[in-house]
Amino acid sequence: MRIRTLTALAAAVVLTVAAAGCNRGSDSDSASGKGGGPPIVVGSTLSLTGAFAATGQIHKLAGEEYVDRLNAAGGLLGRKVEWKVLDDQSDQAKVAQLYERLITQDKVDLLIGPYATPNILSAMAVAQRHGYVLPQHTAVLAPQLTYDCQFPAWSIGPTPNKFIPDQLFDALDSLPTPPKKIAVVTSQSGSAAFVTDGFGDDKTGVLTIAKDRGLDVVANVHYPPTTTDWAPIATQVRDADPDLIISNGLGVDAVNLVQAMKQLNYTPKKMFALFPAPGPLLALGAPADGILSVSMFEPNKPILDKLGAKATEITTDFTKRAKEAKLPYTTFETQAAASWNAWDILAAGVTESGGTDQRKMCASLHDKGADTTFSGHLKFDPKDHNFWPTTQTLKQIQDGDWVTVWPKNKAAAPLK
Amino acid sequence: MNVVQATLSGALIGGLYALMAIGLSVTWGVLRVINLAHFGLILIGAYLTFQLATSWGIDPLLTLVVTVPAMFVAGAVLQWIFDRLALTEFNSLLVSFGLLIITIQVASNVWSADFQRMDATVNPYATESVSIGRLVFPVTTLLAFVLAGLVVLGVHLVLRRTFAGRALRAIAQDRAVAGAFGVDHRRLSLLLGGAVGATAALAGAVFSLSNALTPETAYEWFGIVFAVVILGGIGEVVGTFAAGVLVGVLSGVVSVVWSPATAPFVLFSAIILALLLRPRGLFAMGAVR
Repeated sequence: MRIRTLTALAAAVVLTVAAAGCNRGSDSDSASGKGGGPPIVVGSTLSLTGAFAATGQIHKLAGEEYVDRLNAAGGLLGRKVEWKVLDDQSDQAKVAQLYERLITQDKVDLLIGPYATPNILSAMAVAQRHGYVLPQHTAVLAPQLTYDCQFPAWSIGPTPNKFIPDQLFDALDSLPTPPKKIAVVTSQSGSAAFVTDGFGDDKTGVLTIAKDRGLDVVANVHYPPTTTDWAPIATQVRDADPDLIISNGLGVDAVNLVQAMKQLNYTPKKMFALFPAPGPLLALGAPADGILSVSMFEPNKPILDKLGAKATEITTDFTKRAKEAKLPYTTFETQAAASWNAWDILAAGVTESGGTDQRKMCASLHDKGADTTFSGHLKFDPKDHNFWPTTQTLKQIQDGDWVTVWPKNKAAAPLK
Repeated sequence: MNVVQATLSGALIGGLYALMAIGLSVTWGVLRVINLAHFGLILIGAYLTFQLATSWGIDPLLTLVVTVPAMFVAGAVLQWIFDRLALTEFNSLLVSFGLLIITIQVASNVWSADFQRMDATVNPYATESVSIGRLVFPVTTLLAFVLAGLVVLGVHLVLRRTFAGRALRAIAQDRAVAGAFGVDHRRLSLLLGGAVGATAALAGAVFSLSNALTPETAYEWFGIVFAVVILGGIGEVVGTFAAGVLVGVLSGVVSVVWSPATAPFVLFSAIILALLLRPRGLFAMGAVR
C-alpha cells in the first residue's frame, strides 16, 4: 500500500513537472531561469510566396538575424529562442488559420506579426481572441488597429493621414520655391488610399490638407492596384503639369509612373512616392533622382554614427545575409528596421515582465515601453492604439542612393 | 490631346496584349487545348531576357537569339505532354493551370519573389520614345505593336498559304478525317506548340523591357489576355490583334476621360455586351476551325 502511495506521489510530481514545462503561457519560465530550460518558441507567419513575398523575405532575414544574435547573447531569460515561421502565401485567410494553429496546436509561447496590413489585421483578430501580445511590423492604419495588445513597430503616429502630408508639405515649404500645383495619384489599396482620402468619417488626407494650405490640386487620379497600363495616368499628369506629383502607391507603382512619364518626354519637377519598393526606383537611374519618400531608417553614415557600433554591425550582417539569399536590394532600411523594432518590443515584453504571461507582457509594455535599437525608447498608449510618437523621416534619392533629408535635425544631407 | 495620346498609347499597348494572346488563341482554336501554361512560358521568357541582359550586359533585344529557340523547345515539349496525356479541352485547363503554378514556384525559387528589373544601363528602351509634335510613341509598346503585327501576318500567311497551315486548319475542323488524309497530327502539334512558345518568348521580352518582374505577374495577365482571345474569336489571329488594339484603346480612353479605376468596369461590361451580340467573338470570321 505504501509503495503504491509513493508511486502515485512520484507520478503526480512527474506529471506536474511535465505540465509546467508545457504550460508556455505561464510564469514558469522565470523559474527555469538562467539555468536553461526549454526554448521559448515564437510563432509567426510571413508572406514567403505570393504578392507580398518580396518584402516578406526581408522580414524573414531580419528576424533570423535577430534570433541568432539574441541566442548568441544567451537568449531570453536564459532560454534559447526558437522562431517557428510559416508561409501564409500572402493570403489573409491563411494567416488567420495559421495563427490559430500556432496558438492552439503548436502552443507557441509568443507571437510576432506577419507582413502587410491585411495580413496583420487577420493575425490581430486571432491574437486578440486568445489574448496574445502581438508586436507587428508595418501596419500604420491606426484607426483599424484597435487591439490593446498589438504593438506597432513602425509608427506614423495615431493619424498618418495627417502626419504624412503635413511632413511632406512642411519639408517642401523650406525650399526656395515651394510647389503650388500638385497632382495626386492614388492606388485604391488600404494604406495608400487612407493617406489621400482619410478613413471612414475622417476625410483628412492629402487632398484636404493641400486645400487647407492653399495648394491647387490640378490632377487627382485613383487607380486599381492591378493597373498595368500607366500611359493614360502619365498623360493626365503631364498635361496637368504640376509642381509636385504625390504618388500614393505601393511596390513598383512609382517606378511604372516615372517610366511612363519619361516615355512621354515628361520629367516631373518634384515627386513623392509613399511606400515604394526601394530597389527598383534606384534602378531607374537619373529619371528617379530627387524622388522623395517616407522612411523610418536609412543606413546613412551620420545616422549610423549616432546609433553606435551595434547598429552598423546589424546592418552590415543583414547586407551579407541578403546577398547570400540573393535579394536584389540588400540594404537594411525601413522594412528591416521595422522588423527589428518588432523583435525588440517582443524581447522587452518578456524581459521586463519576467516571463511569457501574455497579460503581464502587455501590461509591462504599456507601463514601461520598450527600448529599441533603431527607434530609441518607445512608449505605448492604448488611447492612441499604441502608436507611439513617430520618428518618421523623409528620404530622397540623391546621386543614386536613398538619403535622409528631413527633418533637418535627423538629415544626412539637405533636401534638394 | 489627352484623348488622342491615350488612344495612341492604348493602341500600342494593345499590341502587347495581342502578342500575349496569339499563342493562347491558336492553341485553343487548333489543338483544343486551353493552355494556361502559356502565361508561364511568357513569364519564363521575360525572366530569361532579364537574366541574360543583366548577367552578360547584352542588349535585351539580342537575348531573343537565345530565348526564342529555347522557348520554341519548351513550347514543343509542353505540347508533347498535352498530346501524351490526351486531354479533353476542359481537362487541359486544369492541367495547364497546375503547370502554371509549378512554373511560378520555380520562378520564385530561381529569381526570388522580389521585384526584378533591368536597370537603365542595360535597358535603354524603358524610357525611350519617338515623338511627333506632342504625340509620343513609347519605344517599348511601339516594338510590341510591330512584333505583334509581324507575328499575326506570319501566322496568318502560314495558316492560309502553306500546306502545313491547311493541315492545321484541317486538324482544327476534324482531327480524325485530317488523319485519314495523311495529316500527321502529332508532328504538326509539336511544331505549332514550338511556334507558340516562340511567341511567348517575344511577349516576355517586350514585357520585361518596361516592367518589373515578379513571379505573380503571370496572374495579372489572365483577365485582359482572355478578354482579347475571346473577343477576337478563338483561333482567329487577325481578330486577336484587332481585339488587343480595341481593348487597349478602350481601356486607355476610359482611364483618361473618367478614371483608371473605372476602366476595368467599362472594359469588361463592353466585352460582355459584345459577346452577347456576337457570341463567337467580335472579330470571328470562321477562325481556323
